[in-house]
Amino acid sequence: MIQRMAKVEILGLKDVALEAIDAIHELGTLHIEDLSEKIPKMGGKRISRMEIDPKYADQVATLNTLRSKVGDMIRDLQLAVQEIPKAEVQKEYDAIWSEDVDVMIGRIKKIIDEVEQEVKDPLDRKADLMMELSRLETYAPIMQKIQPLAERVSKIEDMASIALVIERKFKAILNYLNDEISKITEGECEIISADVDEESTAALIVFNRRFLKQVHDFLAVQDVNQVRLPSDLAKKPLEEALTEIRARIKQIPEELEKIEEHLSEATKKYAIKLIAARNAIHDRIEAIEAVPKFAQTDQVFIISGWLPEECFEELEKVMLEKFGNKVVVTVTDIREEEELEETPVALKNRPFVRYFEIIYLLSKYPKYGTVDPTVVFAIFFPIFFGIMVGDIGYGIIITALGYFVFKKFRNKPLLSMGGYVLTVSGAWTIFFGILYFEVFGDLLEKALHHWGVHLPLLGSEHSFISFPINRLEAFTLMMLVSCALGFIHIGVGLVIGMINGYREGNKKHILEKAGGLTFLIGLLVAGLGLAKYIPKFFGPIGIVFALVGVVMATAGAGMGGLIETIVSAGNVLSYARLIAVGLASVILAQVTNDLTRQLWHGVFGVIVGIVVAILLHTLAVVIAMFSPSIHALRLNLVESFNKFFEPAKFRYEPFRKTGGEE
Amino acid sequence: MQEAIKIGLIALSAALAIGVSAIATAMSQSRIGAAMAGAVAERPELLGGAIILVAIPETMVILGLVIAFMITGLK
Repeated sequence: MIQRMAKVEILGLKDVALEAIDAIHELGTLHIEDLSEKIPKMGGKRISRMEIDPKYADQVATLNTLRSKVGDMIRDLQLAVQEIPKAEVQKEYDAIWSEDVDVMIGRIKKIIDEVEQEVKDPLDRKADLMMELSRLETYAPIMQKIQPLAERVSKIEDMASIALVIERKFKAILNYLNDEISKITEGECEIISADVDEESTAALIVFNRRFLKQVHDFLAVQDVNQVRLPSDLAKKPLEEALTEIRARIKQIPEELEKIEEHLSEATKKYAIKLIAARNAIHDRIEAIEAVPKFAQTDQVFIISGWLPEECFEELEKVMLEKFGNKVVVTVTDIREEEELEETPVALKNRPFVRYFEIIYLLSKYPKYGTVDPTVVFAIFFPIFFGIMVGDIGYGIIITALGYFVFKKFRNKPLLSMGGYVLTVSGAWTIFFGILYFEVFGDLLEKALHHWGVHLPLLGSEHSFISFPINRLEAFTLMMLVSCALGFIHIGVGLVIGMINGYREGNKKHILEKAGGLTFLIGLLVAGLGLAKYIPKFFGPIGIVFALVGVVMATAGAGMGGLIETIVSAGNVLSYARLIAVGLASVILAQVTNDLTRQLWHGVFGVIVGIVVAILLHTLAVVIAMFSPSIHALRLNLVESFNKFFEPAKFRYEPFRKTGGEE
Repeated sequence: MQEAIKIGLIALSAALAIGVSAIATAMSQSRIGAAMAGAVAERPELLGGAIILVAIPETMVILGLVIAFMITGLK
């Protein structure tokens, strides 16, 4: 249901303007209208846009700097924002907040200084240690490989060595280096190599010390990685350096652990303050930046906006209490078409229906003054889903999964809504699963047959309606059911279209939708009459009805109405997807069962069969959740909503303290 | 012989009804899918609408399936 909104204008003396803005912000119910674009139409040259005082512009700049500092700290300290108790954050927020922006800035700076004093050095040290650890961990395996080779070299007099690390895929370059360095050293050179890991190879070039400079010069122009130790280790013998590296690798995590402990204490101590500071900064900036949306004269400020009718009294009371007769709040009527367009929309549905507002992730809200179709979606989406999937086993899994997501993620609106919709859809899947008598396809049916148990059938194989309904064979029945649902669903859409037309006082709109509905009813009657499901004379009557419908729609909306009405017959056929997707679902389940049965020989066959059955049925459940959802959505959005839906320009987004960016 | 030809032609017609419409759907979906992938890369909030748009041409293959079933019911 769309909430009734009130449009209000707040006029007051300019000397209390900022306090009034703060009060509205605090109350958090008014959706602000941006007056800056409307000022030219408001008449009177004395009305102008409210400007941000240059003093406030400086304060916004300072607040933005503080915001980035606080944001960095929250990130560095890895604060789990969701887990921090909101009540405590609110308490701290109230302590930071002040109507005097400079006072507030002072308080936030104090918090930042305190935190910096406590965590800056440990954070810097932590970063250094992590970098050192990563560097040493790279050196250690290389040094380990090189050390025995280097030890042998060190025993040979007049010989020098240079260590290299090369990617294994470029190992062939060693032959090239060997050739080139042999030329430089007149053959007094050898390269010894060993693989370090899967990706790199360490190599030691051993050559006569006389050619040290030339070899260094040559390697400098080649694209090869020489192993260069940190300066404090470079001059030490390789063995000693390696021992030291190993000792440091062992020591650093202990140091890091101590720093982490210290930081964790600091996190506990400052988490609430930092989150509260971030929220306060965010809200203060938002309040200052809202100012240009308001209008002013020399003496008076003007704020215009919408709020739910039920919230008006509170706004009026707060303004009167805080500002007496310095501020006046008035309600204006929302009657003109232009105003209906501009009115922001807020929805207020009952709990069962509220979760189905998930549809508005894909679509805009319905226009103010029209019918909110959430309830239509809440009824038809799960039924369509259930008809398509229709399996007791899959239904139980989908319901359980949906309920788990719904319960587990109560704080995450999107997931909880999705979980709820899935739960209801799963319940309908079980219902239709009973009608089709399908449990993981024909698994139970085959098992019962194997054990010699026969189902209590209603009707015979040749009856038009029987229990259970065999989806693969009862095509005509399923087609009729799908089309009937299509007629009802589209019919509901057309009726809502007529109501919308009535609310907007648009007679042509009503005529068009009534024509569409008459056409569909005529078509249905004619079809049933010609197919002899009802007395034959209904056939021509239906055709006359359909023609009258076409004429009405054309009279209502011209050629557009004519085309739209005829297309609606195609829309009804589109509901055949309920059978098509359902057939794909049941056939996949049956193929899985057949495959499992074929494998069901011997212990190994049984194990493989069970694995295959689990894998393929899991795949079927995943597909069952995805594809039918899209088709059920499409039937709602394209086939039915198209008949009446008028999108809103704006959602109701009140000017309120949001409590930060999260 | 004539009966066999008749059954064969019915089967062929049904296969054509669903096969051709499936190819048409696939061609449309490939184009829409590619365009929507580009659009979603630029504006991720379009994802929901994109999924619906990709599903729109499936009406063709569904109608193809209905026709195929009707053809197989011919005697």
